[in-house]
Amino acid sequence: MKSFIPREVETLWTLFTAPTVWALHFVVCYAAVAIFCAKGMAEEIAFGTLRLGLGIFTLLALAMIVLSSYLAWRQWGFGSGDPPHDAATREDRKYFQGFATLLLSGLSFVAVVYAAIPLIFIAECQP
Amino acid sequence: MNDDRLAASGQPIRSGPRPGHNGICRHDYLLLLVFPLLASCSGVQSVLDPAGPEAAGVATLFYTMLIGGVVIWSGVVGLFFYAVRKRKVHSTKTAGRLILWGGAVFPTVVLAALLGYGVWLMPAMRPWFQDDARGMRRIEVTGEQFWWRVRYLGEDGKPVFETANEVRIPVGERVAFLLKSPDVIHSFWIPVLGGKMDMIPGRENRLTLVAGKPGTYRGVCAEFCGPSHALMAFTVHVMERQDYEAWLSARKTSSGAGDAEGLALFLRHGCAACHAISGTEARGTIGPDLTGFGERGSVGAGTLANTAEHIARFIRFPDGVKPEVRMPHFSMLADADVERIAAYLKGLR
Amino acid sequence: MTAELGNFSAEERAAQEERLRKVWETPKGLRYWTSVNNSEIGLWYGVTAFVFMLFAGLLGLLMRLQLAVPNNDLISADLFNQAFTLHGTVMMFLFAVPIFEAIAIFLLPSMLGARELPFPRLSAFGFWSFVLGGIFVCGSIFFNAAPSAGWFMYPPLATSEEFSGIGADIWLLGLSFIEVASIAAAVEIIVGIMKCRAPGMRINLMPMFAWYLLIVAGMILFAFPPLIAGDILFEMERMFDWPFFDAERGGDPLLWQHLFWIFGHPEVYIIFLPAIALMAMIVPTFSQRPIVGYSWIVLAAVGTGFLSFGLWVHHMFATGLPQISLAFFSAASEAVAIPTGVQIFVFIATMLAGRVIFSVPMLFGAGGVIIFVVGGLTGVMVALVPFDWQAHDTYFVVAHLHYVLIGGMLFPIVAGIYYYFPFVRGKKLSDAWGKVAFWLMFCGFNIAFFPMHFSGLRGMPRRVFTYPGDIGWDWFNLVSTIGAFIFASGVATVVIDILRPKPKPAARDLNPWNSGTLEWTNDPEESWGMRSVPIITSRYPLWDQPNLQRDMEAGRFYLPDATSGERETLVTSVLDADPIQCLRVGGTSYVTIISALGLGGVFIALTFHWWITTIICAVITFVAIIVWLWTGTAPIPEEPEIDVGLGLKLPIYVSGPASVGWWAMFITMVGDGTAFASLIFGYFFYWTIHEDFTAAAQGPGILWPIVALVLFVVAWVLTLLARELNEKGTVGARLALVACFIVTVAALLAGLAGPYFHAMDPTANVYPAIVWVLVIWTVTHAVVGGIMHLYCLARSFAGRMTSEYDQDIRNVTLYWHFMAVTAVVTFGVIGLFPMVTE
Repeated sequence: MKSFIPREVETLWTLFTAPTVWALHFVVCYAAVAIFCAKGMAEEIAFGTLRLGLGIFTLLALAMIVLSSYLAWRQWGFGSGDPPHDAATREDRKYFQGFATLLLSGLSFVAVVYAAIPLIFIAECQP
Repeated sequence: MNDDRLAASGQPIRSGPRPGHNGICRHDYLLLLVFPLLASCSGVQSVLDPAGPEAAGVATLFYTMLIGGVVIWSGVVGLFFYAVRKRKVHSTKTAGRLILWGGAVFPTVVLAALLGYGVWLMPAMRPWFQDDARGMRRIEVTGEQFWWRVRYLGEDGKPVFETANEVRIPVGERVAFLLKSPDVIHSFWIPVLGGKMDMIPGRENRLTLVAGKPGTYRGVCAEFCGPSHALMAFTVHVMERQDYEAWLSARKTSSGAGDAEGLALFLRHGCAACHAISGTEARGTIGPDLTGFGERGSVGAGTLANTAEHIARFIRFPDGVKPEVRMPHFSMLADADVERIAAYLKGLR
Repeated sequence: MTAELGNFSAEERAAQEERLRKVWETPKGLRYWTSVNNSEIGLWYGVTAFVFMLFAGLLGLLMRLQLAVPNNDLISADLFNQAFTLHGTVMMFLFAVPIFEAIAIFLLPSMLGARELPFPRLSAFGFWSFVLGGIFVCGSIFFNAAPSAGWFMYPPLATSEEFSGIGADIWLLGLSFIEVASIAAAVEIIVGIMKCRAPGMRINLMPMFAWYLLIVAGMILFAFPPLIAGDILFEMERMFDWPFFDAERGGDPLLWQHLFWIFGHPEVYIIFLPAIALMAMIVPTFSQRPIVGYSWIVLAAVGTGFLSFGLWVHHMFATGLPQISLAFFSAASEAVAIPTGVQIFVFIATMLAGRVIFSVPMLFGAGGVIIFVVGGLTGVMVALVPFDWQAHDTYFVVAHLHYVLIGGMLFPIVAGIYYYFPFVRGKKLSDAWGKVAFWLMFCGFNIAFFPMHFSGLRGMPRRVFTYPGDIGWDWFNLVSTIGAFIFASGVATVVIDILRPKPKPAARDLNPWNSGTLEWTNDPEESWGMRSVPIITSRYPLWDQPNLQRDMEAGRFYLPDATSGERETLVTSVLDADPIQCLRVGGTSYVTIISALGLGGVFIALTFHWWITTIICAVITFVAIIVWLWTGTAPIPEEPEIDVGLGLKLPIYVSGPASVGWWAMFITMVGDGTAFASLIFGYFFYWTIHEDFTAAAQGPGILWPIVALVLFVVAWVLTLLARELNEKGTVGARLALVACFIVTVAALLAGLAGPYFHAMDPTANVYPAIVWVLVIWTVTHAVVGGIMHLYCLARSFAGRMTSEYDQDIRNVTLYWHFMAVTAVVTFGVIGLFPMVTE
């Protein structure tokens, strides 16, 4: 298990992990459907298969986000302190990063779930 | 407002019955004071006065969202004022909880429900019709600067006849519109029946609509398409099934008969280079087909009421009525000739 | 950071101030305009943007007059169309975006505790580009030549010479120029916020404004380039008849809509977030407590920044795309409302936990929120596809967007003007005038725009120059017009309040609102910004750090002196703001104006197809930029380290990722890469809409693209080698640079060879056209890359680049990383993709 979870990295970029996963998920869903419908691939592959594939991909994306929130939670010291994290120390800066990343993971989770709602209701390429 | 005033103001009038409303709202100013829940007395081009299931569904959706919106807005503004005026300073913890529950959780739940409902509505409103399109009546509408070419297609997909700036459909039947454009992007929109669909050069879009009640309505171009974008409307007649069938067969055999001298002038002055009138030698295809012109609701795609005077005015100076319209002006013709042509066109049935 | 604070006698302090004043002096007379100091540039920028806003507002009034009654013939259809096109264009491109670049450039250094942002000359260049482009675009209406196809410029209406005259070129070229200015500002802002904060200002202590602006600048970097790519395609179609949007030759008008709205929707948030950032500075001050939910604000800013890129198709719900595609965008459009809600609730929570002082800035802020919430709620409505099918392109949307932009942006700006006026001029604006202005604006706005919801739902489409009198729209329009004039009188009141002469305040009060953030320590009379750069230990240093103001003015912190006679500022680390470098920034200079004027000349001459003038201006621009780089960047300092005070010695020259220049290159190239990705998107977009895209016309073959690809990779490797060799000595590096240059030339020729030898005719079909565009894009970059090799070579010979001082070659290598990716993708796609699809 240990090898799966990256050790703590100190950079600003971790803040953007979860939203980036959302962006990837969004682009993949959009591109897959656009190509599927524009190229008339419905004759070879059923739309249901595409939905299933994207559904599985959605679960993967959600898993990534959950992982990112775990890392964020760890960076936040497993919730050891409450915000506002405004002390002039490295600890508080880290906690702030962790907490903000955790919040962003939450939002990204919701956004990915939202993006999956169309997969439930729409079953064709109709315009 | 009466019809004389309309004619005097140079505006289109609509013939035929308008069941369900009188088309004009006399108490608009009240709407500005009370809330718009009564706004549906608004007429022939109103989203809130639906005449078909799609528009009705959207109107219901709107009212639902409106009520929700008013409640949420009042809540937020109320909280805002409370926060400004309060006597007691609340703890940071309480304030933080407010952000979590009010700012994050509440919107997440409400929006999820709304989104689910909205997405669920989509296929219901605009069902997939590729498979049963053959059985559906098809009308091909082409948006051109700044008018509508309307072709009624037969079962083989070939045009049976053509008309312009008016669309007739039977009540209670899903009709497919095939939407095209040869020049710029237009958008086909009949607010009382449903949402709009763009007409894009190089693409053929499809839109199916069902009308729920007979009547005369108005459609417009909704995508900016050039100088006279504002003057690109059309009349929609929703007819009882038997009336519709009667109209179809009459239209198929339309003779173009009328004032012979008017027709002769029409041909002599070159009108037929662009316009067609079935049953006559006029077979131009550049401009609108004028068969049965006298029955049309308006002159110049919803620009002027259909009177002989207005027809004459349009012939003389089309550009003055409709900026940068494609039709050249005919102000050099003798007044008598223009009037005769106008009278002939007005008389076409 | 427990360094002993400095202690200077009165004479020492006077001498320091004398030197500082001299170094940061603003030039007098005509040379005033060559100033590059952020406080001047920021102010000019802001005033210019505000004037453009007033102009666009007048156009709005003109439109409202025309629409006051049905069948009005006050102005012609053509003038109306020019007016609404310019109204949107100017408000978006010449007001909303630039005003925030202005505010950012003006406020950020003071707020962050930097003496100056890292690239003052770049800001000046951006400003002059903006002025020139703006005047060009606005002025066109006085010659009846303004663009008239809408601010969205949809082809084919806007691409066809027949339908739209020179206006479309003016729009495109004027705007491209302003896009350059925006990207310049984004570079400045990102590097400034990441690297130029006061020591100790860790990222958890940054002012909210900086957080927002960091995100916004990042968004500019990803949002503007797709539009630039679109502009290139568009202008190639207009100028050379390459059929990108012509359906008859395989193009598609929808590609423009995609590229435009990939820019256009993030744009809305690029405008909105900085306004909320102003609110996030104002609300804590008037609640007299730190903001509640600092991390939530970061969530909101970052979340909005990301989600705003998943909304673009909601401007295209009626174009006939598959419903499921629409639904994805509907989902993201609803999701973006969550972070927006969080932002509003952060303000409410802060007020709830503080004692609110309700003065004019708060009045405008509160009015803005009340209006904005309406716009947000109608936004949630139009984000639902079925409702949008009805509401799209009607006055309902006009109402929605004005509620969002005026509530979410203009009111906060005015709040910001009232709040920050003392910071600019040392005295407050009038409370009485402010209240009158507020009520006029607030009531006028609602009277003008609320009825539009109803006229829209009653079927009134947007962009109509007139309407019939009998379908229930007339009352609403008349009321809207009256409201618009009341609103305008409110704006006029603000303008008069700003312009009217005001008595000098009795006592000097730098911080009249008792704010907590660092900018309020600055004396508007001095152009040095901070007297000394403090050590920060709080989000609200003026509230929490006792004697801060006094110690700063006594020069007890960093950089209290300017002994070197150079403009110096501190560079600190990204996360914890540890001081790492003493950066020398550019001073007053002509090169910025000349290069901006030259570049402006290029764009203007292109508009009128004056090819020779274009070339002359291009040469002037090129020379000016080379002179600028040669004299102004990476000078070798007289000594490696300098004493910045408090016993700290810092290097003056750093290179590689530690330097601001490297970051600027990286950021610019990210933007550049986004534009390139947009062109690649175009290639695959055409592939999806055609059955036989690559088979429809002659392709570039496989041989030449592969040869070019390999040569570019070799050139890249040689560039890396040159960097490595430069560390060991000059000779090897020079030889390698020569080799790089030769291979680059060979590579770009090979790149051109494919489409050239296969006689691909770009006017015949969209396939050759897009291939040519990709090749030209890559080749142009290769030309720049080759010039960079020569530049490094020249620097090496001139002794301006050595093994120790190697910033130039490191930045060039960074450029070549991007260059290599561009080349590999371009030639991989055009050479190999046709084989894959066969």
